[in-house]
Amino acid sequence: MQKILLLIRDFKPGDWIIIIFFLFFILMTIKFFLNFPNGQYLKIQKNSEVLGIYSLNQQNIKIIKGQRGVSEIVINNGKVRFTKAPCKKQYCIHQGWISKINQMIVCIPNQISISIIGDKETHDSINY
Amino acid sequence: MTPSIIKIVDEDHQIAKLSAIAVALSLIEFFFPSPIPGIKPGIANIIILYSIFKFNYSIGIWVSLIRVFVTSIIIGTFLSPTFFLSLSGAMFSLLSILIFKNYNKNHFSLIGISLVASLAHIIGQFIVVRIWIIPHNGILYLLPLFLISSFIFGIVNGAITQKLLTLNVKK
Repeated sequence: MQKILLLIRDFKPGDWIIIIFFLFFILMTIKFFLNFPNGQYLKIQKNSEVLGIYSLNQQNIKIIKGQRGVSEIVINNGKVRFTKAPCKKQYCIHQGWISKINQMIVCIPNQISISIIGDKETHDSINY
Repeated sequence: MTPSIIKIVDEDHQIAKLSAIAVALSLIEFFFPSPIPGIKPGIANIIILYSIFKFNYSIGIWVSLIRVFVTSIIIGTFLSPTFFLSLSGAMFSLLSILIFKNYNKNHFSLIGISLVASLAHIIGQFIVVRIWIIPHNGILYLLPLFLISSFIFGIVNGAITQKLLTLNVKK
């Protein structure tokens, strides 16, 4: 503990400026991270083919036939989740609700993915 | 035997020794499991900071680049995305140190410079990742996590380097 105090005593004014700037920068990114904008549309994809783009401002249940069976997607006023999947592990259901732009849930066995997009789409997919 | 045209000076020996230590440290870091994937303490950067402020800037550049190349060849990631990530991080932190190279000892200590270098390292890597490797805004979610870790390890590495430099002065 005493060594840490000695270390802090050695800090120079420039160091404090850098530390404050750095912490400010971290806070800004956290704020940005928390305030990621909510999306307006839901995009459902099977493999790479887009099955449809739906508005999020509705209460609706979509039933999609995939590679192995039927997936059920619930849209509930601005947020989306999977409720049924034909796979064993049910990872997509455990992901829960998504509502922010660029969030996505992928069901690999059934080859269905849902993602949230904003007004207009900026990026198509993860390319790497 | 033909005499070698390249003259080996003391500086070359110094570079070789320092880069050997740096490579060893980054290999230790590579084999040591990290609780969160992608977050590494960057202890090899202690050697690079040390070689810049103990000797001079060009030795620092040599040590840093040799470390990046040799480590990637040993681990087997040479010319893969991982290699370019570490190269871009090294480049950006070297550039940022160039600005603070002739610092006034009353205004900055090495901890501040280490912090600037670690911030530049993370920003450089994120620029490369965003433009080339994963062109998707989603990776920005990771930025706070990496910034916090670089803040902690920047302070720790800077403190260790400062300790190392004062030790040698006494001797």
